[in-house]
Amino acid sequence: MILQLLAGNLIHGLLLGGVYGLATMGLSLIFGVMNVVNVGHGAFIMVGAFITLTLFSVLGISPVLAIPVALLMGMALGFFFFYTVMRRLIKAPELASLLATFAIGILLEEVVKLIFGADFRGYNWGLGKIVLPITVIPLSKIYAFIGSIVIALFLYFWFSKTRLGTAVRAVVEDSEGARVCGVNVGWIYALSFAIGIGLTVMSGVMLTMFIPVGINPYMGGVYTLKAFVIAVLGGLSSPYGAFFAGLIFGLIENGAYVLFAQIPGVAPFPLTVSLAFWMLFFLLLIKPTGLLGKK
Amino acid sequence: MVKYYPLIPVLAIYLVMFLIGFYIEGMWQMVALLAFYCALGQSWNIFMGMTGYVDFGYVTFIALGTYGMALGISYTHQYEWLGIGIIFIGLILALFLASLSALLESFIALRLRGAYFAIACIGINEGLKHFIEGARIWGGSDGIIFYGALIQAFGRETSNHLTAFWADFAVFIIAALAAILNIYYMRSKIGYALTAVREDEDAAKVMGINTTKYKTIAFLTSGLLGAAVGAFAWGVKLAHVYPGDVFVIHYTIECIVVVLLGGAGTLLGPVVGGLVYGLSKYWLAVVLPGFQLLVFAPIIIIIIVVFPEGIIGFVKQKTKSTPLARYII
Repeated sequence: MILQLLAGNLIHGLLLGGVYGLATMGLSLIFGVMNVVNVGHGAFIMVGAFITLTLFSVLGISPVLAIPVALLMGMALGFFFFYTVMRRLIKAPELASLLATFAIGILLEEVVKLIFGADFRGYNWGLGKIVLPITVIPLSKIYAFIGSIVIALFLYFWFSKTRLGTAVRAVVEDSEGARVCGVNVGWIYALSFAIGIGLTVMSGVMLTMFIPVGINPYMGGVYTLKAFVIAVLGGLSSPYGAFFAGLIFGLIENGAYVLFAQIPGVAPFPLTVSLAFWMLFFLLLIKPTGLLGKK
Repeated sequence: MVKYYPLIPVLAIYLVMFLIGFYIEGMWQMVALLAFYCALGQSWNIFMGMTGYVDFGYVTFIALGTYGMALGISYTHQYEWLGIGIIFIGLILALFLASLSALLESFIALRLRGAYFAIACIGINEGLKHFIEGARIWGGSDGIIFYGALIQAFGRETSNHLTAFWADFAVFIIAALAAILNIYYMRSKIGYALTAVREDEDAAKVMGINTTKYKTIAFLTSGLLGAAVGAFAWGVKLAHVYPGDVFVIHYTIECIVVVLLGGAGTLLGPVVGGLVYGLSKYWLAVVLPGFQLLVFAPIIIIIIVVFPEGIIGFVKQKTKSTPLARYII
């Protein structure tokens, strides 16, 4: 019985893990290129969720089409915040960039709250579901998983096959060296920040398939924290590491939930969340470069 | 004694604030709020200002301080012979919990630098909060409500006096203590060592400075002061504690804003920052209730981008080589 439950939950964990992976790639990309931890990360996920919700429930547009809209709006937000704020903070001490990204997050949350109110909302895509002997999986979750993998692969090829992608990797390795080789480092910073934000907003679209009624201006905080854990797990500056770490994290999270639920007298959900942070803690202690990171 | 002159304006401001609150009817709550921000800013600044490390999880100490006070009072209130002593037991518990967590954090987190340190500190805060809720220790997410325990121990009148006056008075004392410790550290070997860490940690190590030791001293001091503020300003004053209310990163952000407004690494900065931040927050809550954050977020961004040295940093530059300079640091 419990094994069945565990297996069923692990399938859900894997699907959610793909979305977690996508949601963290943007964080890792921005850290890798600019050395900035985006503390307002979750707010951008929230923006993606609200884009999907508005397109679906007001205009009747399918969430599949929300993905390109989210990417474009995310990149627009990314360029806007880069040129107004982040550009001046690349050389500043950490304090400045941490606080600035946090403030950007608050700003987004409050603007969204002003427009949509603070209630929890949701939508129902009604695609049907697959019934397996051990569990029932809504088709929308599978679409979200496949979508995340496609986007991650796309990013991979963009990084490895195009000139611009190579230039981004060069800046990650050594920004001064890249500058000497004729790379326009300022533009790469802007582009990477925009792509990072675009990816994050897109992952918000995917995430809505997993939270039927959980869309709220303040929903992002918990994903910021999960993204931190996943990013560290994946080596902090590597987007692919982040993707695989997301898969691992999804599996651990859902698996642990089933096991914690067997213990009488505890609240399994918060305990699962706290497990994530103890994992982070031990990881930082043993191998700060991440499980999948370089030395 | 000349090297302690900068304490004069700080303590004078605190005294004036106290007198205003004490003698002018209806001002006490506002003055108490301002003292709270000043005390927190000053305490946070002891570690951050001197080392440059950003402790994003600072609110953990404030929260643990509150829990210490809550546990102390709710476990010992039935012993009548302890009298006012239960407050001190609560304070000791608060400091004990905070120092445990500070030592654990310094063991793990202080080996890390930059972004990793900030992430680790946030992780500790969230991990603790969810652990308390998940494992249902200390009342789990239902928290601890101990106003009844206070009344049982001291009677209604004394309890009211305790929550409405003495809790805030204690915050004043802590704020002053934080300022004194801050300047003492600045003017001693600890401060020089930490300044070396801030400028270039590897070079400091090569010069033979035991960086971990000094970082731990400053971290512990800053954490204990934060716990003491939590024990009184949230513990005794509110007489209840819920994990979802206290382990909130937004309070760390408030500390950071206070320090940044006034000027990081200065003595007078957190005081001025606390006054400006507290007053504007109070004013916004009256004028635009519900929209404070919407107004604050862009202001924070503007300050970081165009005014990173803060008010006192700016004043310091202007008063250089004038007689005023020895009072401002």
